[in-house]
Amino acid sequence: MDPKKMLIAVDASENAQRAAEYAARIVGATPGFSLTLLTLERPPERDLYKDDAAHRAACQAREGEMRAAQGAIKAVLVAGGVPAGMISAHYVASCKSPQAEGADQCSLGQSIALEILDFAKAQGCGTVVVGRRGVSKAEEFLFGSVSSKIVHNAKNCTVWVIS
Amino acid sequence: MPKESVAALVARLRPGYRLARAGRVVDDTGQFMDIIQGDVLRLAGRHYLVFKDAVERRFGYTDPKFWVKKCLELETGARAIVKLVFQESFPLRVGTVSTTCFRSPAKEARVLDVVRGDARFMQGFATRDTAGNLVRVIETVSGVSIENTVAALDMPHADYFRDLFPNLLARFTGACRAIAWLHSQGELHGDVGRDHLWIEHKTAAMRWIDFDYAYEAYENPFGMDLSGLGDILVFLAGQGVHTIAGMRESGLPESLLDTLAPDDFSLVHGNRLANLAKISPYIPERLNRILLHFAAASDVLYESVDELLADLTPVVQEMGGGLI
Repeated sequence: MDPKKMLIAVDASENAQRAAEYAARIVGATPGFSLTLLTLERPPERDLYKDDAAHRAACQAREGEMRAAQGAIKAVLVAGGVPAGMISAHYVASCKSPQAEGADQCSLGQSIALEILDFAKAQGCGTVVVGRRGVSKAEEFLFGSVSSKIVHNAKNCTVWVIS
Repeated sequence: MPKESVAALVARLRPGYRLARAGRVVDDTGQFMDIIQGDVLRLAGRHYLVFKDAVERRFGYTDPKFWVKKCLELETGARAIVKLVFQESFPLRVGTVSTTCFRSPAKEARVLDVVRGDARFMQGFATRDTAGNLVRVIETVSGVSIENTVAALDMPHADYFRDLFPNLLARFTGACRAIAWLHSQGELHGDVGRDHLWIEHKTAAMRWIDFDYAYEAYENPFGMDLSGLGDILVFLAGQGVHTIAGMRESGLPESLLDTLAPDDFSLVHGNRLANLAKISPYIPERLNRILLHFAAASDVLYESVDELLADLTPVVQEMGGGLI
């Protein structure tokens, strides 16, 4: 695992933006680094919508939001001095999304944290960068925390958790 | 062909039944507020005579559920609960944490399919009315909730803990196993609480009811269920909920209450004591260690019901409650 191959987990949150800003400050245009932006789609649950049409519309909206966020994060990195050629972006659709039909790869969505680590391993990324929401212990118990789970489950890689 | 009237239906299917009010036969259940006593719901080729709306009693107040009808199935004479479609989302406060909860007929219909034939869960089926509304027809569980079962006991905690708790714990462990199995099927209960776990009169079996709550997906989608199981376990072990005010009212000495720290209380419900061994020192350490996983002090939180079961099962054996 190459520590200079960095994976930045990206969603539509401010935490992801902070993570990208931090990575840009550290890496800048230093030769030898590569930054992989990974967005795992998490569509709204089907159960929350009255019918398939409403769910499909919500999934489309979520996808648009997440793709836009990934574009914005890339812009943050470039603005922070990272050459565009050092950045690659991956968007993995959710297997549950109606939009995922025909996709080569899809996200099972059972654990975003474990999927991020699997992706990092497959890409040989030695550094994983995630933003932290700063949830309370009670919230972490009830809903889980992606960053905590990454920290607990990471093997053979370094994890940066950006608050 | 003209619609058979309610009176004619009752006379044909339940001869001799005294009808208090003959309403209308309803095929489209969309306007559930208009469906009242004496109406008959026609669903999946069967007829359900409406008695009344269901009510939920929580924390001393009564909450009518206008979309849930207590009924008599005219074909069989069996009591049934018919849950009509009420799509709503509402903020749900769990202790100090808030989230948005959705009432999902589709989710409950799916869970009913998954648990069909499994006596650890309420039984029923889903069907669509003529307007396409996904209606759930539930077999009534004749019994008492865990909450009311324990509340009805009038005995000192030490006696309860020695004589009744071991068997309750064994059966509750079986109920936990049921939830673990549900999770393994990719489904969650959604509203695990002591008012949704019932003890059936006839069989004394514990059965889970009400599966219609759904949430946005999170990193740990089953955390809410797990937290609910922890609440029930603490409730059962303590023969109720122990707040500072309640403990003071029950006459526990101030010198003992002074030893209680915020870390001794529930992580999620900060006013409920979880470290019960502090007030009931005969609680086995092994059991109390499990309770502490649900306390604010805990550094290690359960991530799955299987983890909870791995700790609970030896305690059940140790306490002689038998495995169910």
